[in-house]
Amino acid sequence: MKMSHAWRPVILIVGAVVFLLIFRTIYVPGDFTAKSGDYKYQWHSLKNEKYWTDYPVKYMGQEFCGQCHSDKVEKIKASGHQKVQCEDCHVMTSKPDKKHPVDLKEDFKYLLEIGVDSSRELCKRCHAKLPFRPAEYSESSKGTIKFNMIDPKTHNAGIECVTCHDVHTAGFK
Amino acid sequence: MVTRRDFIKAGLLTVAGMAIPISALEMFKPEAMASLVRSFSEKKRWAFVVDTTKCVGCGMCAKACKLENEIPFEAEVQRTWVERYIQLKDGDVIIDSPKGAREGFTSNDPYGHEVKDEEITKQFYVPKLCNQCEKPSCVQVCPAGATYKTEDGVSLVDRSWCIGCGYCITNCPYFARFFNPVTNTADKCTFCYHRITKGKQTACIDACAFGVRKIGYINDPNSEVFKIISSKRVAVLKPEYGNEPHVFYLGLDQIVR
Ligand code: SF4
Ligand code: SF4
Repeated sequence: MKMSHAWRPVILIVGAVVFLLIFRTIYVPGDFTAKSGDYKYQWHSLKNEKYWTDYPVKYMGQEFCGQCHSDKVEKIKASGHQKVQCEDCHVMTSKPDKKHPVDLKEDFKYLLEIGVDSSRELCKRCHAKLPFRPAEYSESSKGTIKFNMIDPKTHNAGIECVTCHDVHTAGFK
Repeated sequence: MVTRRDFIKAGLLTVAGMAIPISALEMFKPEAMASLVRSFSEKKRWAFVVDTTKCVGCGMCAKACKLENEIPFEAEVQRTWVERYIQLKDGDVIIDSPKGAREGFTSNDPYGHEVKDEEITKQFYVPKLCNQCEKPSCVQVCPAGATYKTEDGVSLVDRSWCIGCGYCITNCPYFARFFNPVTNTADKCTFCYHRITKGKQTACIDACAFGVRKIGYINDPNSEVFKIISSKRVAVLKPEYGNEPHVFYLGLDQIVR
């Protein structure tokens, strides 16, 4: 029986759909799927979630440094600087000026460059008197305390704060 | 009259046009179908709280974030940044965020002009980051399937699939995305996904001595963020966009943009 002329284009179009589906199966990796939610949001490579959960942790805080420097960490925990993490002052964003005596990268898988930033600029980040900077500090375990601010222009300008202040006790030397 | 040639042409064009929605439909996998009916609320969902009343603008969070997530320190891009808002007596509002506050605010001179105390009616700092939206427009527009939302509510960028078209960067109403000059892909805050999934806090939370930032499950009644969001007056940025942001602000002022 002779096929109606209308069937041929229909077959061609159905063929194109089938080809597309097959091509997609080959081209798109197997882990590329919609995991949850609706399709327009969730179409992605599931492997990549592991890439992000496996990303290395670098900023470790007092707990890590306390393994060797327990004296310093105890001191700071008892002071007004109790919630300041070691890295806030001891991690270098440029070349470290003082190397850590133990190779932290090799031995402890600690990944940041250690040095000491004792610049006036660093202390000013919290202690320079700016209008409307909160005057009270409420995160201390001793309750709300006054937040110490100075005017950097008049308060011993030009001298590093650590000349007189011990940052680990948050008091005078 | 429709010729045979025209009919085939139109048919093939329709197929080609359908190719986009078809390739987005994973119709043969039962688990994909099941995901359509499972509601979001049963799942654990991360949320963030920012208490702007406590922020002093020290920028330690921005510094820690750069180090933790290997965003080149000197580059003018950041995953989290702190904005300073100064409302003047004459009604003007000055907003600045020098270097994303990675070096903190140490003097009152936005854009190099000193502002005198007596000219100011109010001033405060607002830390910002990706809002990990429930309906992230960044995910919706990604043509490559590189940007996606995890089941626990965090939007991530697949660096091996990102084609660098920048569509998501221009589509985020919060300007939370940027182009990472090292990986050459779109980049953004991940809520430190590698830390929170290991039971740690994000780097910016650890670095902040003032308790401004907090993270937790929004649907866990024991989490601190749940307690704050459910009992205090919180606000989100730009709710009118319908992205349903999951970064909640305490003490948000109407001058914040
Ligand atoms: S804040 Fe922007 S980048 Fe983050 S999830 Fe929402 S739309 Fe996406
Ligand atoms: S830049 Fe990358 S992540 Fe953003 S829309 Fe394009 S492909 Fe997606």
